[in-house]
Amino acid sequence: MEERRLTRKDLRRCWRAWMMHCLSSMSFERMASFGFCLSMLPVAKKLYPDVTKRMEMLRRHASFYNTEPQIGAIVNGMALGLEEKKANGEPIDGETINTLKVGLMGPIAGIGDSMIPGMLMPILLSIGMALAAGGNILGPLFYTVAWLGIILPGSWFLFLKGYKMGSGSVEMLVSSKSARLREALSLLGVFVMGGVAASYVKLSSGLEFITKDGVNIHLQQMLDGIFPQLLPLGIVLGTWYVMAKRGVSPVKAMAILLVLAALGVATGVFQG
Amino acid sequence: MIIEAALIGLLCYLGALSSPWLLGVTGGWYLITRPLVSGMLVGLILGDLKTGIIIGVAVQAVYIAMVTPGGSMPADLNFVAYPAIALGILSGKGPEVAVALAATIGIAGTILFNAMMVLNSFWNHRADVALEQGDVRSLYLNSAIWPQVTNFLLRFVPTFTGVYFGAQYISGVMDSLPQVVLSTMNVLGGILPAVGIAILLKQIIKNYSMLIYFLVGFICIVFLKLNMVALVIVGSLLALIHYTYKPEPATTAGAKPLAADEDEF
Repeated sequence: MEERRLTRKDLRRCWRAWMMHCLSSMSFERMASFGFCLSMLPVAKKLYPDVTKRMEMLRRHASFYNTEPQIGAIVNGMALGLEEKKANGEPIDGETINTLKVGLMGPIAGIGDSMIPGMLMPILLSIGMALAAGGNILGPLFYTVAWLGIILPGSWFLFLKGYKMGSGSVEMLVSSKSARLREALSLLGVFVMGGVAASYVKLSSGLEFITKDGVNIHLQQMLDGIFPQLLPLGIVLGTWYVMAKRGVSPVKAMAILLVLAALGVATGVFQG
Repeated sequence: MIIEAALIGLLCYLGALSSPWLLGVTGGWYLITRPLVSGMLVGLILGDLKTGIIIGVAVQAVYIAMVTPGGSMPADLNFVAYPAIALGILSGKGPEVAVALAATIGIAGTILFNAMMVLNSFWNHRADVALEQGDVRSLYLNSAIWPQVTNFLLRFVPTFTGVYFGAQYISGVMDSLPQVVLSTMNVLGGILPAVGIAILLKQIIKNYSMLIYFLVGFICIVFLKLNMVALVIVGSLLALIHYTYKPEPATTAGAKPLAADEDEF
């Protein structure tokens, strides 16, 4: 039997199909399952000229699947590598490939969600927002270039790693070294969020008192002299506390802030 | 206004979570649906780039850390990024009011997102049938193409309608609101970013000691007056120090042979 080898072009087509279609038919029921299936489609015929085996392979990859797409490209690479070996007659059970996918999607989604939307994007967005101050177009352009410049080569690299190294490549993501790197990055994320809170949360008090001696005390001016942005800091920490420690959902937290804003405006404590 | 509304509707569809055309979420949901970027695009379309970017930045602050694990969303960012920002620009009431408006539209938009997630089950079943029958063409159509028709209708139609009719009425409606409502929206728009920040902090902060880094970051801006780029540099250095000097946890070092770990790099 002649060897069925995937070329770099085949790999790129599979990667592109995954990036495009990972969520294109998402439903609560199936999430990214057909996305995964579509990412195997470009090479299905090449790997399995026999139609029964081909459909069996496609069915295998339409089972429930859901993960973070960019980091998750590593699993697609791995599945391709295994399917290639299987197609060339190595004794790999279809069930093994499926078990590998199902076993990895959870951890990879956890790492991916905390790395990409939870870390990389907030940091790039914070820089972009700062550069955009006053309506400068540099901000959005910076985000566009930096995001694409990191994520496109990054996910292609992970995809190739997965294809070449198989299940060993996951070690790269879950090793203690990478856990430590993630911890360091999350620290950077928290640090930058401090700056975002200071720059973009805005609240000031309109309270004024006139003491018996006729001295006019403006609460906000007093606060500015001691600790500027103290009220926004209080709001952020308070919101974090009710969400993290009291389990309040984001929508409810927004509703609480709405009530707070209305009360504050009605009583004149907050200045609109 | 028809052309502008149609363009905004089209961008809204291209940036939807399940839209494949801009390399999936890479160029769509994670790029043009970020309010920072959509503010620029909508501003360009409506002929007011500067206001667009300013409102985009203000709205972005609320949704800076919107993570959508398993497709459950506290707000539909796509409707925030397009119709809501467009209406925010058209209302002419400044970034804070635009933020309050965007947050409301975002929460309402989750209904349409959930509708898509339920409707797509129909296409999934057809794709399953195609797989059983061995019809690869039908599999492709039912998982890559037809769901996009649902998606397009759910994104384009509300956005187009909202922007087209909103453009005529939004500033009138805004002007008719009593001052106390506008002031509340103003205050709310200023404090809503706290939710976005809290979402991220909730996810990252495992113990109270990590709050220190948040406070240091806060103080760097308020008292030391660093700009954001300098802040990221300082933060990276702190992260590097943490990475270099944090001792390996004893349990993993004992349980795992170190050599296997090193080989992977």
